[in-house]
Amino acid sequence: MKKNKETLNIAFLGLGGQGIITLAKMIAESALDTGKKVCYNEIHGLSQRGGSVQSFLRLNEESSPLFASSDVDLVIGLEKMETLRYLYGIKGHKPKVILLDYFEIRNTNYFGLEVFPEEEEIDKEIRERAEELYIFDSENFKKQFKGNFIPYNVGIFSALTTFEELGITEETGEKIVKKLLGKNILLSQVNKKAFKEGKKWIKKI
Amino acid sequence: MSVKRKNKIDNGIAETEEALFMGNHAVVQGLLEAGVGFTAAYPGTPSTEIQVRLAKLHEKGQLYFEYSVNEKVAFEISAAAALSGVRSAVIMKHVGVNVASDAMMALAYFGVQGGMIIVAVDDPGCQSSQNEQDSRFWGKFAHIPVFEPSTPQEIRDVIPKIYELSEKYNMLCMLRMTNFTSLSTGIVKHKPIEENLSWNGEFVREIKYQIPARYLLHKGLHKSLKALAKDPLFEEFISLKESSSSSERLIITHGAIYPIVEYMAELYNFNGDILKIGAIFPLNEEKIAEIVKKYKYIYFVEELEPYLETEILAIIGRNKLNVTVFGKEKLQIPYENSLRPDALKEAFSRIVADPNDDSVFYEIPDPSPLPKIFDSEELLIPRTLPRLCDGCSHRGAFYSIKKATGEDFIIPSDIGCYALGQVQPVDVGDYWLCMGGGLGTALGMSKVNGKKVIAIIGDGTFFHAGMPALLDAVEYNHNITLAILDNSLTAMTGGQPSPSSTTWKRKNFNPINLEEVVKGLGVKWIKSVQAINVKENVKIVKEALEYQGPSVIIFKGECVVNKLRNMKTPVKPLSIDQDLCTQCGNCLIDFACPSIVKEDGKIVIKQDTCTGCGYCAMVCPVKAIK
Ligand SMILES: Cc1ncc(C[n+]2csc(CCOP(=O)(O)OP(=O)(O)O)c2C)c(N)n1
Ligand code: SF4
Ligand code: SF4
Repeated sequence: MKKNKETLNIAFLGLGGQGIITLAKMIAESALDTGKKVCYNEIHGLSQRGGSVQSFLRLNEESSPLFASSDVDLVIGLEKMETLRYLYGIKGHKPKVILLDYFEIRNTNYFGLEVFPEEEEIDKEIRERAEELYIFDSENFKKQFKGNFIPYNVGIFSALTTFEELGITEETGEKIVKKLLGKNILLSQVNKKAFKEGKKWIKKI
Repeated sequence: MSVKRKNKIDNGIAETEEALFMGNHAVVQGLLEAGVGFTAAYPGTPSTEIQVRLAKLHEKGQLYFEYSVNEKVAFEISAAAALSGVRSAVIMKHVGVNVASDAMMALAYFGVQGGMIIVAVDDPGCQSSQNEQDSRFWGKFAHIPVFEPSTPQEIRDVIPKIYELSEKYNMLCMLRMTNFTSLSTGIVKHKPIEENLSWNGEFVREIKYQIPARYLLHKGLHKSLKALAKDPLFEEFISLKESSSSSERLIITHGAIYPIVEYMAELYNFNGDILKIGAIFPLNEEKIAEIVKKYKYIYFVEELEPYLETEILAIIGRNKLNVTVFGKEKLQIPYENSLRPDALKEAFSRIVADPNDDSVFYEIPDPSPLPKIFDSEELLIPRTLPRLCDGCSHRGAFYSIKKATGEDFIIPSDIGCYALGQVQPVDVGDYWLCMGGGLGTALGMSKVNGKKVIAIIGDGTFFHAGMPALLDAVEYNHNITLAILDNSLTAMTGGQPSPSSTTWKRKNFNPINLEEVVKGLGVKWIKSVQAINVKENVKIVKEALEYQGPSVIIFKGECVVNKLRNMKTPVKPLSIDQDLCTQCGNCLIDFACPSIVKEDGKIVIKQDTCTGCGYCAMVCPVKAIK
């Protein structure tokens, strides 16, 4: 199976309300800013909070934002169970994984049939399925903020500037955060801080 | 008749800027560049972003937009603009077209003076819908040209062309999108439009609108369709991607999934050509026959129904072409769900295989006829399905209804966030059919099952399609109770105003009084309550259920997402006093807000998701939640 060498296929996985689409958008805006081709797609259900959200982005491509799971280069997971579900679907290929270490405890049981796996079990499975695993330390990142609005997505975006393959410089990143999230004065301060802090809390496992 | 129009039209030639647009925003850009001054819509995902942006432009005074009461009215209002020479567009989700179709089928006979597009956004995979019907069929059924662009750039580019054709042939046109084309974002070259667009027109009476012999119009319509199919501008919508080597194989596909098909063809080293049909109806028979006959093997790759397969097979037959055809069944392409790359793997392994090796094309048995709840056999990873938000006011109404009804009641629900009340642990509601279908069927349920039935509906759905059924209930004294869950919003589709919304500021708008409407329909027993008073409301529900004949309870409680959006001060989450809590589980199991969880054997409130709504405090028997 041939593939354009320049292309980078990224999958984003998480839950409604985590700002996944904004994260994809920040990366796309950075690409546009540096003159690269880019496209992305969002897959989500309704407007309620808490459902599955996925986004797929391709750098240096402009036609189909969707790609086969066996063709994914980078998986960015903002919730463990959502991330593992995607990794499960990949056959015969291990991607690089960047994971926010967050696990949502679910108390809604759709038809009373689901059994939710334990967090440790999920951790183990993710580790086995990643070629390289990077963890974003949510607990320590969170401590930098007062109140209950924690912009994990901006934190991760900041961490992504340390990954060369994405080609996002700090200056570009900062500019994009300001462009996309700078309108609300109160939140723009929090987001600015998140962008400054984020890169400190990522580490390779 | 000459069309009066004041808006300048550039036909999308000049491009001065590049920006990231999702497909839905590209639609708005295309409309602006085509000088469309009149728009209307009824909310429905995945068409939401088109509507939200148009509503903003209306507030700024750039064009006319309204959220109409339902799709039929939205269609009729836009049709009037087009009949008066004004370019118009009406936007809805796929199932909205069913509601608008009575007017649409007839308007096709009239034709339009100003160009008109009906934008229909399909939802393969039912991510936010009651079904996944394929809107491509409307073209043939209603006799309207159907266009299907592939990328945001293409969407923006084709809209001015569609208006040109719509006016040249006086035809209503459909722009068919899907959740893939609507929600894909790409870089779009475009020309920003700042000026205000006019929506003034002039209706000119024509005999064709009045004559009873409408079949004559039907005849003219077929003539126009034939002419349109051969128009060079229309022919552009059929394009052939040729591989470098001459090939015997041709894939035929349609605009909405073309980028995915192109990607898969590359991934599988497909050594052949791809025919992209970007205008689904009418098909230019000569041109298609001309192309198809150059190949030996034809592969149809289509999302949802095998529409092109059926149509083009007929063309192949009529033209006696000697080709071998592989369609849905032979390629094992699913009829259901959106066709993402993983869903096309089997198909592509067959497309690149030896076409004469029959062993490749066996039928894969369907492993389980029942819906699969789990995604994997190895470790069970349940899907994360949507649920009512933390702090949703509907949960208060459900708690009261559940306590008042017990096990004995048939509870038809309807379409809106409250449909999620049917899943555990809330578990209130037996089914949801289509908008207004809960109340409509409740009438029959009560008659046939010989007992009181309680139907659930939202304010939005009540105005859209519930009113006629309530009128019927009064007329025939059907023994039903209707619970209207009034959150002052059309919430499920992303939070648009409903006719009674007072929390939503709009220009030139009179909020409708819901109680007065219910009274006006002739209902004698009406009570309006605050949804948060969960315990008192149990009694009121019981009273309503005892009443013989139609009774209505209106539960009031604002949608929490909207409330948070407008909040000026930070949220104050509640917590549970562990000294007082008896672990009765009333809040955790019966009320079931997702922010309430069991951690290390204790019931606690998650501080980062609790919205501080206060509902759970009302259900705690020992007042431990503060
Ligand atoms: C014919 C049709 N049009 C539009 C929709 C999209 N839709 C889904 S729910 C809904 C209305 C929700 O409003 P409401 O009844 O007030 O309930 P809420 O979500 O606010 O609880 C709409 C318009 C649909 N499903 N069917
Ligand atoms: S106050 Fe109670 S019901 Fe409301 S969001 Fe918080 S936990 Fe949920
Ligand atoms: S969006 Fe509003 S109405 Fe819908 S579940 Fe959330 S809070 Fe309830």
